[in-house]
Amino acid sequence: MKRRYFLRSGSALAASLLLTRSAFANTPWKIPERMSKPDITSDEGGLWAMMDREETRLRRSPFALRDAALQAYIQDIACKLAGNHCADVRVHLVRNRYFNANMAPNGMMQVWSGLMLRVENEAQFSAILGHELAHYMERHTVNRLRDAKSKAAFGQFLSIFGLPGLIGALSVVASSFSFSRDQERQADEFGLTLMSQAGYDPAEAAKVWANLIEESNASTERDPSKNSMLFATHPASVERKDTLIQLANQLPAGGQLNEQEWRKQTKPFLHGWLEDEIKRGCHEESVVLLSRLSARFPTEAEYLWARGDIFRLRNLPGDADKAIADFQAAITIGREPAETHRGLGIVFRGQNQQKLASASFSRYLELAPDASDALMVRNYLEESNS
Amino acid sequence: MSIFKKCIVLSAILLTTACVTTTKIDAGPRNIGERLQLNLSGAWNQINVSGMNGPHAETWTMEGLAIDKLDIYSGLNENETIHPGSDAARDKKNYVFKASLQPEQIVALFEGSLTRDGSTFKLLKLQPTLFGGVKGFHFEYAVTRKIDNVEILGTANVAISRNQLYAMVYQAPKLVFYSRHIERVNQIMQSARIS
Repeated sequence: MKRRYFLRSGSALAASLLLTRSAFANTPWKIPERMSKPDITSDEGGLWAMMDREETRLRRSPFALRDAALQAYIQDIACKLAGNHCADVRVHLVRNRYFNANMAPNGMMQVWSGLMLRVENEAQFSAILGHELAHYMERHTVNRLRDAKSKAAFGQFLSIFGLPGLIGALSVVASSFSFSRDQERQADEFGLTLMSQAGYDPAEAAKVWANLIEESNASTERDPSKNSMLFATHPASVERKDTLIQLANQLPAGGQLNEQEWRKQTKPFLHGWLEDEIKRGCHEESVVLLSRLSARFPTEAEYLWARGDIFRLRNLPGDADKAIADFQAAITIGREPAETHRGLGIVFRGQNQQKLASASFSRYLELAPDASDALMVRNYLEESNS
Repeated sequence: MSIFKKCIVLSAILLTTACVTTTKIDAGPRNIGERLQLNLSGAWNQINVSGMNGPHAETWTMEGLAIDKLDIYSGLNENETIHPGSDAARDKKNYVFKASLQPEQIVALFEGSLTRDGSTFKLLKLQPTLFGGVKGFHFEYAVTRKIDNVEILGTANVAISRNQLYAMVYQAPKLVFYSRHIERVNQIMQSARIS
């Protein structure tokens, strides 16, 4: 695996050198014509039918994020990028704490909430969608399928696009179906073109990969392809990030970020996505992620609450003080979630600071009297007061 | 494929891929480990799957492991794992018990081990209780199982005595099975005594 990864990285470097004579400078890429539905008797037609069935299951899944406003907003971004393919692209939002997006040959696109938590603006989001749309428009997935000769391999292939089911083995499966070096290079290049044509700043694409690499570097699992579905199918490397910077430099500079609109539209879901991140249990990666986001958006109390809770749960020497500092900073900012006060109370209780614990628990119960753990916290409060 | 067919397939996979033995647990008094005593009003099935439990845990079921399970922890020591991670799981973290953990941290341990596959966990209730005559806590939860989207309900009683973890955790599908067996499970939990 490591050897293959090394070879891929080396190949990516060679590819990046070739790209100094970029396709941008030669024949500009044009969005292909819309695809018509393939004949059901063809291999591609069969694949479409199976993907249609998976899409029906996805629509019914309890993991599907069903919010009409957010759905319309995301679909609109996809349409801006997809141009004349808009009518064929259907975006499905899935509540899943991992970073992933994929697109099946029939136009079904899945976007996981772990991705939406991590991007900072519409431009970064469009970088991922543009890349996936480029794979779709160039029919890379169908070509990969034709490479998968055996029925077992075909079944595994389908699992990548099906429901976000047994995640355990999926990243391993996905790695065996990663796109080729040329396909990745094309998708990066064409994805940036889609971004640029839609008016987004293409320089944001490299930032997404840089942020993910930074998170991965904090992980105990050093091979990012084992830790991320997206990295498994789209091998990440520093060279790749550099290539994206080079490619972006060849496009018109600047463009929209639409950061405020992105934050407005995703704000109602932020708390839930942060809860999912805390529950992921990857404390080192989460600290890197939340440090970045809290520095980037210093007036958002939710990130400080979440990082404080990560410190509280990690519980290494010094973490209790870091947790207190984050919780108190969140309270200073204001509009902090009720759980900030519960976390503060638990840490103070652990330090035997009963008066401070009591005040925090009281505030938590004021803000969340019907919380699932209210009876437990009342018990803590009584203990602190006695 | 219906939920029940999937459960049968899951059971078949478990039976064929691991060394599984099933033992009948008769009604009446029963010692679990050195210090936990239970009194059963009816029979259960004890499942032994190689590598599934550590030395201080047992797994019982009424309907079969793919449907319901009652995990009983008796005297889990400091630094012992709640459930060892399998090689196949993405999440290979081991959820380690420490006597200094507070109730919500212990709930998080169970949550972590129950959601290794990406299933979702929602805490429904957390409150103090006596378990086995020892001051402990009770929690209830809902899990949406990733593999088949089945809604699972769970209930647990937990206590720490002499730096050892004692716990009973029962879960079954919300539809039919949880309500079918919860009274029987509550009776066992109430009969528990930690000596």
